[in-house]
Amino acid sequence: MESVLLKNIGKPDAHRIENYVRNGGYRALAAALKLAPEHIIQMVKDSGLRGRGGAGFSTGLKWSFIPKDPTVAKYLCCNADEGEPGTFKDRGIMDNDPHLLIEGMIISSYAIGASNAYIYIRGEFVFGARRLEAAIKEAYERGYLGGDILGSGFNLDMYVHRGFGAYICGEETALLESIEGYRAQPRKKPPFPALSGLYGKPTVINNVETLSCIPAIIEKGPEWFAGIGPAKSPGPKIYCVSGHVKKPGLYELAMGATARDIIFNHCGGMLRDDRALKAVIPGGVSAPLLTPKDLDTPLDFDSLAAKGSMLGSGAVIVMDSSTCMVKTAYIINRFFSHESCGKCTPCRDGTPWLTKILRRLEHGEGRAGDVEMLESLCDNIFGRTFCPLGDGAVMALRGALKNFREEFQYHVDHKRCMAC
Amino acid sequence: MVTVKINGKEITVEDGTLILNAARDAGFEVPTFCYQADLIGIGSCRMCLVEIEGQKKLQPSCVTPVLHGMSINTESPTVVSARAGVLEFLLANHALDCPVCDKGGECELQDMVYRYGPHKGRHAEPKFKFHEKDYVLSPVIIKNSNRCVQCVKCVRVCREVVGANVLTSLNRGDHQEETSFLRSFLDCDQDGNCIEVCPVGCFMRLPYRYKTRPWDLKGADTVCPYCATGCRMVIEHRDGVVIRARAQLGVGLNSETLCARGRFGFDFINNPNRLTTPLVRKRGALEPASWEEAMGLIKKNFSVGGGKVGGIASPRLVNEELYLFQKLFRTVFNSPNIDSSSRWDPLAVESFVSAASMHEGGVSIFDCMASDTLLIIGSHLSDENPVTDYIVRRISANRRMNVIIASPRAMKLDSSATQLLRHLPGAEDSVLEAIILNLNYDKLPDETLKPVKDARLEALLSTAGALDKEIKAIARKLGASSTVAVIAGTDFLRAPQSIPALGLLKDLLRSRGKKVTVLPALDRCNQRGAWEMGVHPGFGPGYSRVDKKGLGCDGILAAAEQGELDALYIAGSDVASMYPDGEFAAKALSAVKFLVVQDIFLTETAKLAHVVLPGASFAEKEGIFTNQEGRAQIIRKLLPPPGKAKRDFDIIRAVGESFDPSFGPKNPVLVLDEIRKEAPMYGDVSLVFNNKKNIEDKLDNRAALVKGAQSAALKVSRIEPRADLGGAEQFPFRLVTGNHLFHSGMLSRMSSSMTGLLNAAVIEISEGDADALGLRNGDKVSVRGAACEAQMTLRTRKGSGKGMAFVAENFEDAPVARFFRRGKGAPRVAITKI
Repeated sequence: MESVLLKNIGKPDAHRIENYVRNGGYRALAAALKLAPEHIIQMVKDSGLRGRGGAGFSTGLKWSFIPKDPTVAKYLCCNADEGEPGTFKDRGIMDNDPHLLIEGMIISSYAIGASNAYIYIRGEFVFGARRLEAAIKEAYERGYLGGDILGSGFNLDMYVHRGFGAYICGEETALLESIEGYRAQPRKKPPFPALSGLYGKPTVINNVETLSCIPAIIEKGPEWFAGIGPAKSPGPKIYCVSGHVKKPGLYELAMGATARDIIFNHCGGMLRDDRALKAVIPGGVSAPLLTPKDLDTPLDFDSLAAKGSMLGSGAVIVMDSSTCMVKTAYIINRFFSHESCGKCTPCRDGTPWLTKILRRLEHGEGRAGDVEMLESLCDNIFGRTFCPLGDGAVMALRGALKNFREEFQYHVDHKRCMAC
Repeated sequence: MVTVKINGKEITVEDGTLILNAARDAGFEVPTFCYQADLIGIGSCRMCLVEIEGQKKLQPSCVTPVLHGMSINTESPTVVSARAGVLEFLLANHALDCPVCDKGGECELQDMVYRYGPHKGRHAEPKFKFHEKDYVLSPVIIKNSNRCVQCVKCVRVCREVVGANVLTSLNRGDHQEETSFLRSFLDCDQDGNCIEVCPVGCFMRLPYRYKTRPWDLKGADTVCPYCATGCRMVIEHRDGVVIRARAQLGVGLNSETLCARGRFGFDFINNPNRLTTPLVRKRGALEPASWEEAMGLIKKNFSVGGGKVGGIASPRLVNEELYLFQKLFRTVFNSPNIDSSSRWDPLAVESFVSAASMHEGGVSIFDCMASDTLLIIGSHLSDENPVTDYIVRRISANRRMNVIIASPRAMKLDSSATQLLRHLPGAEDSVLEAIILNLNYDKLPDETLKPVKDARLEALLSTAGALDKEIKAIARKLGASSTVAVIAGTDFLRAPQSIPALGLLKDLLRSRGKKVTVLPALDRCNQRGAWEMGVHPGFGPGYSRVDKKGLGCDGILAAAEQGELDALYIAGSDVASMYPDGEFAAKALSAVKFLVVQDIFLTETAKLAHVVLPGASFAEKEGIFTNQEGRAQIIRKLLPPPGKAKRDFDIIRAVGESFDPSFGPKNPVLVLDEIRKEAPMYGDVSLVFNNKKNIEDKLDNRAALVKGAQSAALKVSRIEPRADLGGAEQFPFRLVTGNHLFHSGMLSRMSSSMTGLLNAAVIEISEGDADALGLRNGDKVSVRGAACEAQMTLRTRKGSGKGMAFVAENFEDAPVARFFRRGKGAPRVAITKI
């Protein structure tokens, strides 16, 4: 497949605006500004683009919820708080090709009628934030941002807002709270951000990868986009492969590549040939893992959902036979309990409890009944939390318990690991 | 209206009703921690999860509104197990130190675990501890975070209701802790509303700590004795010592809130300096005496006719006592010389009552808050009537309305204002007249408007210190509103030349078909009651006409100074401390031939008396307080008066009966009957309905509002402003007085909690003025006026007007009354660093 999102990466000084423009950048913007905003929304709808942040909601549909009243201020927020362990796709775009994101955001802002756009970037991405700041400055200088963009009469100001080092900031309503200067804790929905978002105004929040798809959709047309990958979730997708493979990294493939294809064709196979594949996490640590028997499942929204897992952010974490599943579950759970925002009871007090039990299991201090206890606590957390963070923690653990229950039990019975 | 099914039972409720409330209406209990009706819902504790047919996940009923046709289950096995699960999580890190917890016995977590919880703990891991020892957040608040259930009500009440914004959450996850910024000492209103809303023993009262168990307390549902907001509260004692005051969620106009004075200022009741026996002056000194001896002296020295006598009663007495007091003077002593305040001029009071239409009956603050525009003028509401401030903040935040605040000093409520006007102190008249000039005033008769029409707008703007566009904006908002409410405070009484403009604005807006209500913001709990009982030289009970007008406090003191006053009976008022010109007051009181003071403490005034009678505090009697809205509310007796002290009612009746055995009904209930007859405004006031729980009335117990007076003998008089003391070059600051947030009158000075919060006098100036003088917040300064000098601590306030210094009326070490000169206007002072 022809590269769409990563096409400029690797080219010298791709982050500079002159190079971006030389490679055909900002042509889509000029074209888009000649179209009616509704037309662009329709194009995005027709393209079938689904949000790349994890939930996979139709981007065009999300935009169409924004009220059309021109007197109401609207906002576009780019969710660049890429915090899911194993995910590094947005960072790749922002560090190396910031203008792709900026162009996508200008077009999106025009489509929804926003005159202010925020990029909420993860606090640790210092380099990316500087790159974006510099790129935004370049865009202002060239008249792609500011007043009367390219003579169209459309005005847009864009800001980089650096996050504060919490995973929860990636939850869209917590992100809005954080921009407004409050503690990042999720808001109750409804009202959804499309009606009452940033500062109580209609707001669209999209992931970096989603927004970066927009220029290509404008330039090449929705039909071209819809023709890539499976019909229900089309388009290019960046898979972030890490773990026990020979060549980890970012791979832009047509949506719906299988794990087998990614690991064995693109990544050069398992890291050590004497160790077999044990499990694959297909979409970031909150996605339940896949076992070798599911290797041929296409990694797209619907196919993974059918397998009880999810595409999430597209972070493919590959684990070989030397991996201890209890330790994996412990580390993943420790992350979630550390990152729980503290708002709702089941997540705040439930995930640390899970972590304490898993820590004991991992350290050879397991007690009879621990596995059943883990399952019971998972039941008490799942579906009862305020936002998906708690659910994510439980889904990951449940996945491990379902497929590798005997390993957990082994830790209880033998106070040590069976894998390593 | 929508119809939903809850546990199979059909119920029709209004659109937008929360599932929780619908379920409660239908008679099903749904447990909650983080839900509180008057706070914004956050749906975080997950105790209230319910099952909705057709929805996969359980939903939080406290933030989910009902939809037509919904079928909801609040008792299904999933819901029951979810509740137990949530409680199990809450207990995981909970300290479980119930045996030493102040909350034990009235703890919501205890109750819920008992009812819904897992009765066996599965958590066998080490608990996370925030800290080992409880830490003190302020002189009245102590904190134990290990017991927290993270409902965040404390933070929310602080932000949404109190507006102090000093609490927040530190850290995240199970380390999240609701406390002050970095757990530092709280510099806030100290009202303890965070304690009140805390469902567990996390925020606690420091003065109450380790003193009792809730089940050992006996309580009385009563009314706060400080300002005139009229907050309902319960005071509780153990073994005769009152140790707690608390508000009740959904009861009284204040619901769960109280201010610092209300919540912590009750301990004057058990102050060891309370008067417990009558005192009689013998050989120049006051000595304990029997009641017979004291009453004998009174009988001897008060003449029933001929001699000139006067009476001053405190606006902190109950209506029954005040009624009896004026009856004593008008019928037994045949003297119209009575007053209920040492600070206000009787003519100003009469004008204010008329201008504010108080004779038209009670005005509910909730009606005021339902108007299009609310104008707050002449009141430092945030300090003088804190709970009124909460009500304004809470309601105005949730509806579209104009809140205009015109005041010289910045206050906490400013953040809720849609428009602020900083005018010069004492210039309320110029502000109001300038507004009137910007309104269409054709419909009023010419003579009433003449003084305003003659005024020139520029001149008014310059005396008001306001900008034309500010005044125009206010006039525009008033003009565009069909309902207007004005909260008019005691500054009108301090600068009475402003009162006619208030009346005029009200009449003018009414003449244009607008509904205008005026809510007087008063600073003594029963000031309105004192006026309505006729403790005023110019009108009788129910604002009725009196045959003979008498002298007010000022006139009484003037007569005393001239040696013309034979006897003076002061009940509960500290005239020597509060009369503006302390030197004159002391001289006049010393010159009274026979001075009787009835009080609960040996006040500055009592020290000058010939006979001192020990009265009762609000906790030791029954009766009715009429709050500033005109809501007649009952106070209840919790304790007997200490020692030989008696109820003020009994003392006044005994004095009356010693002259006329047929005087007065035998008990307060019969007095109320007489009040109903004499003051038809009180015709419907009953001892029964006032104290009922009024959740259905949404805190607004309308039955308690007094009716309008059929015929009121009131008129608005133009009162010429008094000449300033002058000396602007020498004394750059105009002195402004009022009540402090922690002190109201001299009563709070007897509360060790309140003096613990603030004991020494403070002077407040704007930040800009302080910078210009090179002074900083907290500096010790010398405050010098033409008549007096005192040392105080400087407080600076952002946003206050320039050239103005505020000193509270309440401090003995800086008796602000001594800066005043009788008959002169506001004094000026100079401030220098010590």
